[in-house]
Amino acid sequence: MDFLFSYIVLAEIYVLLGLSTNLLVGIVGIFSISQAAVFGVGAYIVAHFLMADLALSFIPSLAIAAAGCVALNVIVTLPSLRVSGDYFVVTSFGIQLLATAVFTNWTAGTGGANGLPGIPPPDVFGLPIETTGQYVLLCSAASALGCLAFWLIMGAPFGRLLRAIREDEIAVAAAGKNVLAAKVSAAALAGAFAGTAGGLYATFLSFIDPSSFDLDASILLLTMVVVGGARTLAGSIVGPFLLLALPQLLTLVDIPTTIAAAARQLLYGLLLIAFMLFRPQGLAGERL
Amino acid sequence: MLPLQLLVNGLVTGCALGVVAISFSLVYATTKIFHVAHAGVYTLAGYLAWSLSTHGVPSVLALLLAMAACTALGALIQTQLYARLERRHATHLVVLIASLGALAVMQNIIAAVYTPNILQFAVPWSSRMVAAGSIRLNYTQMLTIVLSLAAYAGTMLFAHRTILGKRIRAVAANPFLAEITRLEPRTVYVYVIAIASALVCLPGVLVPLDLGLQPYNGVTPLLTATIAMIAGGVGSISGAFVLSVAIAVVQNLSLLVIPGEWSIGVTFFIFVIFMLFRPTGLFAAR
Repeated sequence: MDFLFSYIVLAEIYVLLGLSTNLLVGIVGIFSISQAAVFGVGAYIVAHFLMADLALSFIPSLAIAAAGCVALNVIVTLPSLRVSGDYFVVTSFGIQLLATAVFTNWTAGTGGANGLPGIPPPDVFGLPIETTGQYVLLCSAASALGCLAFWLIMGAPFGRLLRAIREDEIAVAAAGKNVLAAKVSAAALAGAFAGTAGGLYATFLSFIDPSSFDLDASILLLTMVVVGGARTLAGSIVGPFLLLALPQLLTLVDIPTTIAAAARQLLYGLLLIAFMLFRPQGLAGERL
Repeated sequence: MLPLQLLVNGLVTGCALGVVAISFSLVYATTKIFHVAHAGVYTLAGYLAWSLSTHGVPSVLALLLAMAACTALGALIQTQLYARLERRHATHLVVLIASLGALAVMQNIIAAVYTPNILQFAVPWSSRMVAAGSIRLNYTQMLTIVLSLAAYAGTMLFAHRTILGKRIRAVAANPFLAEITRLEPRTVYVYVIAIASALVCLPGVLVPLDLGLQPYNGVTPLLTATIAMIAGGVGSISGAFVLSVAIAVVQNLSLLVIPGEWSIGVTFFIFVIFMLFRPTGLFAAR
């Protein structure tokens, strides 16, 4: 039962990340390969404040992490306003590699490659969250809130504005809409999602290391959005649940443990290619 | 004389990087595809040459065979992936994601076959040292400089003096006009990616010959090379090459003050400076 619960918890954390990636890549059309970096920053900030000498409780830590990730994601996404599509790809790759370098080499702050163990479990307004069952409730609440926010935004004029920006930025600007403000807001929201997901992830596993937030993790996030389906709420939910179940399927096939990680990433790569070629709208999305 | 040695090391790295940059630039300027999978071709070249040379194939032959294989692979990526996507009117984003998928596939096939651990070439001459004054270089590093400069000169000659080179530049300049004047852009795209894939084998083999092989080592050089291409001005072969050398030199000299594990930060800083002050690059054509 615990196994199923922890699968659900992780999948729900990735739903938040999926929403974050979907908002940027699917809806606004900004190619981002650095969402795992933002996710990582959220995780490390929460871990830091929970383990500091004057430890904060979980909710304030999470709020600080979310705020930090909002700021970070806005700064990271800002170049996309100035430089055209392909230049931003370089920016995004660069930020991801830079973040991995910081996570790995800034030993004093992040524990370096060995990671950061012993992150205390969270509490919600004095109520400690310790069993996996309680985590399921916490993460369900968080991801439900995220989904609700996503759904409301998609139905609102703001959501239509974001989609219009993807189709034709100049036309939107010519219609008197503020493209800059809209992109910054979308990036801020995506940052808040990723930061919250990071905090939940750090406290659930009680251990974080750079490998959870590297380029491969960003590729996984992109695969989730692509397989689930870009632009829709359903896609952002289907993708994470499906892709986190896949490694379990791989364990059924007899693959030596030494190549298991590579086999998993190989599968993600194949999924990316196959979906782009044959079903760019994913399982439950709209055409990219 | 540490600064001088670092300067020379920077020149060596920069020349290798320059070839990655001109090969990427050829593809990008012509097809407008951000060919991320190029990093996978680069990595694969090294592993193929390693396999061949551990089975006793002479070094030169191993390099040439790796080149032949990568040429075919490049053509395969274009015809089976990019051309298909283009026929379906895929957006730029879709092509980019597919290219990223191809990169993940190549890297992880390599990691599964050869393990993610570092591999060293067992070629005795490659690490033989030559000292000139206080500077020390090994044979591989000298070969890297010579062959990279030759590749640069060759690419310049090819682009400006041959029929195919001119045809490629015509397609890059105006694909629509090229289409109606029967220059067949789609065929040209296949040639371009094939040539670029052959070209990238040179650094793909020479760099690991000196520093060893790892499956995920292709992304950082490709990123640095794209930064050099953008800073040099997209479409300018000389710009891409010169800026690669400059970036690598700055990066190596920065080792005097900044530890090596942060060198990606130095590269990225250069990119941000260019984006802020000269987004079109130094040698922008037209």
